[in-house]
Amino acid sequence: MQSKEASSSMEVDTVPSEAKVLPPKPKFKPLKPHEMASGQVQFRKVSVPPHRYTPLKKIWMEIYTPIYEQMKIDIRMNLKGRKVELKTRPDTPDISNLQKCADFVHAFMLGFDVIDAIAILRLDELYVESFEIKDVKTLRGDHLSRAIGRLSGKGGKTKFTIENATKTRIVIADTKIHILGSFANIKVARDSLCYLIMGSPAGKVYSKLRAITSRMAERF
Amino acid sequence: MANTNNAGAEALRRLKEVDPPSLLAPNPTLSETARAASQYLFSSIRPFSQKCPLDQLLVDGYDAEQIWHQIDLQTQPLLSTLRRRVNQFVKNPDEIAQLKVPSSVAKKVEAKNHEEWEQESDDFDEELDEDDDDEDDFEGVEKEEKNGGSDGEEEDDDDDDDEEGSEDEDEDEEGEKEKGKGKDSGIEDKFLKINELNEYLEKEENNYENAEEADDGDEDSEEDDELEKAGEFEMDEDDEDDDEEEDEDDEEEEEGMENARYDDFFVGKKEKSSKRKDQLVEESEDSGDEDDMESNKQVCVCVCVYVCVCMIVKIFILKIKFSYPVFLYSFMQKKRTASTHEKQLEKIQSEIELMEKANVEPKTWSMQGEVTAANRPVDSLLAVNLDFEHNVRPTPVITEEFTASIEEMIQKRIIEGLFNDVQRAPRLPSKAPREVKELDDNKSKKGLAEMYEQEYVQKIDPTSAPLSSKDKLKNEASMLFKRLCLKLDALSHFSFAPKPVIEDMSFQTNVPALAMEEIAPVAVSDAAMLAPEEVFDGKGDVKEEAELTQAERKRRRANKKRKFKADAVKRSEKKARSEKKEDNAIPGQVNG
Repeated sequence: MQSKEASSSMEVDTVPSEAKVLPPKPKFKPLKPHEMASGQVQFRKVSVPPHRYTPLKKIWMEIYTPIYEQMKIDIRMNLKGRKVELKTRPDTPDISNLQKCADFVHAFMLGFDVIDAIAILRLDELYVESFEIKDVKTLRGDHLSRAIGRLSGKGGKTKFTIENATKTRIVIADTKIHILGSFANIKVARDSLCYLIMGSPAGKVYSKLRAITSRMAERF
Repeated sequence: MANTNNAGAEALRRLKEVDPPSLLAPNPTLSETARAASQYLFSSIRPFSQKCPLDQLLVDGYDAEQIWHQIDLQTQPLLSTLRRRVNQFVKNPDEIAQLKVPSSVAKKVEAKNHEEWEQESDDFDEELDEDDDDEDDFEGVEKEEKNGGSDGEEEDDDDDDDEEGSEDEDEDEEGEKEKGKGKDSGIEDKFLKINELNEYLEKEENNYENAEEADDGDEDSEEDDELEKAGEFEMDEDDEDDDEEEDEDDEEEEEGMENARYDDFFVGKKEKSSKRKDQLVEESEDSGDEDDMESNKQVCVCVCVYVCVCMIVKIFILKIKFSYPVFLYSFMQKKRTASTHEKQLEKIQSEIELMEKANVEPKTWSMQGEVTAANRPVDSLLAVNLDFEHNVRPTPVITEEFTASIEEMIQKRIIEGLFNDVQRAPRLPSKAPREVKELDDNKSKKGLAEMYEQEYVQKIDPTSAPLSSKDKLKNEASMLFKRLCLKLDALSHFSFAPKPVIEDMSFQTNVPALAMEEIAPVAVSDAAMLAPEEVFDGKGDVKEEAELTQAERKRRRANKKRKFKADAVKRSEKKARSEKKEDNAIPGQVNG
């Protein structure tokens, strides 16, 4: 009906003068980690391989203490299922703590020492990379054994050399190789290990390592 | 005239008798004789030489050259006349028969002409063979004989004259052309026999006496000249003689010898030559004047004999080299003898021709540049001595001495200790060697976390970097070394360096303060290690007995007393205690 009238001016419904006061912008506190998952508790479960069972039992307190005390993550061992379970608490400070702890435990399970694995808890950007020998080169029988031997060296000194030079930790578990360290260091260690797998003599790998690490050291 | 003629003949004869060696040395008498003989010969020939302006040979006060030219003047036209005559006789042999010549003499002449001719040609050959001019001849005898033989061709006195002249000539020729070797054997061959020569000479000497004087005279004079020249051994005189004879001969021979060849005379055609001689003789006989004929004939004969010789002599005298064949050929051809210059030119011309020919022709294959096998004849490399550059050093021959020398050198070097070891070239100093990070192959004691922590701390605060193990070891080592150096310096060096100030080093030496500052070396100085007061472990002011004052003496005594008393008390107490123990002990013993 209003439209019929060719009115030049639009009819404006006048709003009542009393203006509703908009609610103030809500100020939310940051979400607690606990609440981030909608208040639900988060779990991580890390299975324990049989060969790590006994060392775990021995080292349990060293694992438990930093996780529970500093990370504020609940940790328990499920003996029946042979799993280590991790659970967030309401007062867990950071959402990534759980994952870190899980990584820490996982690293231990892979075979790393606790003192080495603890670094995961302390530093953000440490990763574990795993690969197999067969990923690099298909070796069978004696060749495989020799390759493993080359990787370790006599008394493990080749492995230690690489570890010291690249600031990583290496675990050689039969045909599986795990490297713990920062991204760049992992790369260098991985390359050295690959050269060894492919057949380079240790001396050659050392010289390469020397060159690379000196360059890396100079950069800083 | 007769007297002079006789004198001339006499002179000639004397010359003939002269001993040839005496001709070697200049002899004035001989020269006189020779001049007389030449005059005689000149005048004897004078009748035949119409064109000659001279009536007689003038010898007084003239030297050899001039006399020679006079003779030449006479003989040149004479020789041409003779040549013409000989040619005539050659063309018309009948004329020779008309010549009046005694048969015996003619025969003799024939035979002897032939002989003489051959001998002369032999002479001529031999003379030609030798080119030396300045040798003295000792063949005068032979020559004389030859000459005599050749002279013998002439029937008249001319024979003798000619003989002697030819003797002289030959002697002269000999003098000119040094035949200096043993000529007896050289001269004699199938043509020339010395013995036959001698016989003929005898005969001709006899003929000489029968000969006409005029001719003899002339010829004698000529011969005298020749002899004289021979005696004086002057080339010019010889020339005169030779030319004289030669001219005579040439004149006659021109006519007869134009078509003569070597073969006519030497190669199995002896009859021809003798025939020719006969013809000549006949021709000479046919001529109207018997004497003339005879003389002509004789001169012809002479010509046959002497032309060659004279030519040769002339040439030799003038010291022109010529080749025998060329000469003979030209002579036989009746060419006018080329002058020396012309001969030289000819020779050079021939050489030039040869060279031009060689240049124009394509070169031999060995003179061309790169020659493949196709461009040279088969197996031609074998004939040529090629010079290769061998880039290979020839292998050394290992001999005893070689090895011994090497071993000796080795021993010497070992004794000296001087080896040629290769020294490493010193590397140029590059930039400072970077600190090489040693790879540690031991299990790291720090955990991974600590490593990263350290790294982080280093990054943040470089100064607080903890000492690496390497540095620690270094420090320890440097400390040890400094300690050691200090000790050694103290012991050995005169210049003492004070101990280094190291904070954490407790370094105590019993060195007095004085020593630290003393300039004198420690080893030399006699300052005690410690000063007296440092050694002294007493107290207070020490005084001698004498220095003590009364009061001090008293005090001392008082102290001593007090001490003594105190000690005495102690001793007594001790004693009492020990006695008590004994007392206690004894009852014990009694009891027990």
